Amino acid sequence: MASNYGSDQEMEQALREHFATEAEELRAPDNLWASIEGRMDLQPTRHPVTQVRRRILGALKQHWFPVMATGGAVAVAASAVFLVSRATQDEFSGSEADAAPAAVATAAPAGAMAIRELPVEKIVTPATALMPQAVAAEAAPQREAPATILRPTVVAASPQPVTVEKSVTREVIVEKVVEKTVQVEASGRVPPAATVAPQAAASQRVATPASARPPATTFQDYRRQPFVATAEDAVSTFSLDTDRTSYQLALSWLQEGYDIEPDSVRAEEWINAFDYQYEQPADDWGFAITSDVALHPLEGGRHLVRIGFQAAEVPDDRPLNVTLVLDASGSMGDGNRVDIARAAAESIRQSLRPQDRLAVVHFTQDVIHEFTVEHTSPDAPGVQRSIQRLAPHGSTNVQAGLNQGVRLADRIRQERPEAYNYVILMSDGVANVDATNPFAILESAYDRNALNPLRLITIGVGINNYNDVLLEQLAQHGNGWYRYLDDTGQARATFSRDNWLALSTPFADQTRAQVTWDPDLVKSWRIIGYENRVTSDQSFAEDRKEFAEIPSGAATTVFYEIELHDRALARAGQDVTLANVELRWVVAETGQSRSQRSEVRGRLDSSLNASGDPLLQLGAIVALSADRYGGLFDGEYVAEISRDLTELEDRLRSLNSSLGGLGAYQDFRFMLEHMAEQARAQAPPAAPSGYSR
Amino acid sequence: MTDEQAVLRCQNGEHEAFRYLVERYKDVLFGTAVLMTGDRALAEEQVQEALLAAWRGISGFQSGRPVKPWLVRILVNAVVSQRRRRAIDTVPLETYSHADDRPSPGETVEANLNREEIREALGGLSADHRQVVVLRYFADLTVPELAEAIGVREGTVKSRLSRALGQLREHLASGGAREAYSHGQ
Repeated sequence: MASNYGSDQEMEQALREHFATEAEELRAPDNLWASIEGRMDLQPTRHPVTQVRRRILGALKQHWFPVMATGGAVAVAASAVFLVSRATQDEFSGSEADAAPAAVATAAPAGAMAIRELPVEKIVTPATALMPQAVAAEAAPQREAPATILRPTVVAASPQPVTVEKSVTREVIVEKVVEKTVQVEASGRVPPAATVAPQAAASQRVATPASARPPATTFQDYRRQPFVATAEDAVSTFSLDTDRTSYQLALSWLQEGYDIEPDSVRAEEWINAFDYQYEQPADDWGFAITSDVALHPLEGGRHLVRIGFQAAEVPDDRPLNVTLVLDASGSMGDGNRVDIARAAAESIRQSLRPQDRLAVVHFTQDVIHEFTVEHTSPDAPGVQRSIQRLAPHGSTNVQAGLNQGVRLADRIRQERPEAYNYVILMSDGVANVDATNPFAILESAYDRNALNPLRLITIGVGINNYNDVLLEQLAQHGNGWYRYLDDTGQARATFSRDNWLALSTPFADQTRAQVTWDPDLVKSWRIIGYENRVTSDQSFAEDRKEFAEIPSGAATTVFYEIELHDRALARAGQDVTLANVELRWVVAETGQSRSQRSEVRGRLDSSLNASGDPLLQLGAIVALSADRYGGLFDGEYVAEISRDLTELEDRLRSLNSSLGGLGAYQDFRFMLEHMAEQARAQAPPAAPSGYSR
Repeated sequence: MTDEQAVLRCQNGEHEAFRYLVERYKDVLFGTAVLMTGDRALAEEQVQEALLAAWRGISGFQSGRPVKPWLVRILVNAVVSQRRRRAIDTVPLETYSHADDRPSPGETVEANLNREEIREALGGLSADHRQVVVLRYFADLTVPELAEAIGVREGTVKSRLSRALGQLREHLASGGAREAYSHGQ
């Protein structure tokens, strides 16, 4: 027998013949088509937005590139508008600033960017102001705001760094935009272990149309946090977070045959997708704060710190006022988005109790008034009928839908002040009529009652043509949370009665934490993830709406990478207090501000394995994987990222004996293997793979 | 109708165009799934899910790109994801039920023996190695297509193929003695 397969070529030939023989037995069942046709009930239509975007991009190539070749500033102007309008968030949550001017960047002919001041409302539709006439006319009537689309194209084409005149009122934000622009052009990312001055520059981009990425998906690339020298800044302040959407999106993408887009990764949402089984707090008024310290699994000489915040699980029988705002636009016809939204809405309806009230709003280019049901008993027949009639057509005016939802919610809030108020937006986030950025939308749907706030929950559906940024930011700044649903079963499970009861019982509002590192022991520190949750140390004292709403019984976890002084390392094997942590929040039930303190304490020089807690090890791997993969950008530091992910992959595999029976572990292992392969595929050929450092 | 035309028509929501693609590629997808999972029922389920995922995602597919590797990629992800969920490392190939194991007319007893030996040898490969062998020699993907389908570098595909062929030859040379599979790392 051996002689038949003496060479690879003979073996190949034998295999081809073998499979040709087997092929007859491996024919697909005759009824395959019939069994799937019945499940293809919704058309995979191209949404008008995609076509409008393509037209805009086409026109841009024609009309804008010559302008940029000489000017180069238009791009930054377009980028600046989104972030400048973002800066107005403080005004939405503050009290004084409704009439305050905001800066809008406009193109200047000599390559410099001039800043002028405009009233806030001018920001709402920046695209038409910036678009060349021909493009604006072609894009009508959608008035798509293409800032998010323009940026990567324009930045790449911009011939040189752009200088900026500072705005009096918004200089910080504008400077950040420019810095990001220049850095993207020059070098890309901060290396994983670099110690650099803190920067929080952010830029929004659209997925490049690489073959294996979901097309027309909008996300925001928040720069990863750098290491900070404790001698210069010992205090880390951030909002807690219970979202896990970034993780769910990534898993869905992989399962649909796409790669995970690195810029879509928000490490904190990956970390918080897992249940670390923290102990419940001793009292039901606060949190259980736990900390663990272990040697860094990737960086010799460094340590990893985990801090867990477990909210108490408290019964709360206050009634609910729920307003469903359902996106009925054409893009919801992609795949099974409408089915998912309908299933989620119906599950919520069924989970409500007789004392609760439910209203339904459908919107496309405007509110569909004939489907609107004002607050009534969840069992009223009109409500269920309205949910069932959700069908996709038309363009998307999220602003109109939310405005109507907020009007209804505000009215019922006044009638029933004892109830909690939820406005639940279900959408793919592809807004293309009127305001299309989250802050402009929130501004017009601004909730002025801080004592009994509206809580904006966003539910995302869809893979392609999906705007993650809009939905995430609406929830973050709308005092709510954000979830992603990828099938009807998950929709029903997420809003099953038990889950709904927990999710809909707010425990703590405006929840933020402040960690103060001991400068005698900790040389430098770096928070993993939380890039768009990190906030100024001064803001810790303020109750701000963009800080997290924590449902009853929910947990938040944060990981830090830290470097210790030698004098601390001399205490290897001892339990040491490395930092103090303080938590502040507003009690949802009473509106009172509370705070709680604890110590970050753990044993130095002890390995992760020695912790004996596989969930701590899993969390560390999840955190570092998400953090490193999120840096896989434009070819910078790919070799280091590839090496780290390969090592993490090995560590994860070693947890199979203890966690292998968990679906969550298997899902993540599937993801990490793809991520590591992806990084290795991009790594320079010289970089070896599958080794330790 | 070409694949490209079919994709464009699918993007306009035409079921019949998708049917054309399903009929064209269903055998290769189903066979691949059976060979990867070792279970006909599971394979059928995975192929259905993969095709529905393809239908949902076809609006984002760039027409003009080859369809088969894209479909195979979705299928492979579905199978691997499902396998992870079940925490199964590999499934011995023999567990899939053959419709008929008797020699077909014209097939010699010796040929049937060879067939059995190769099946057994394939069953002894790790999941990763069997995957590349199936995709290369059954699904007939080129090395670049295969690399894209499973999300690894071409060099990785080549080295896996080379190791897999070596193990198959070794297994067959040793008279079919069954070894505990390695993970091929």
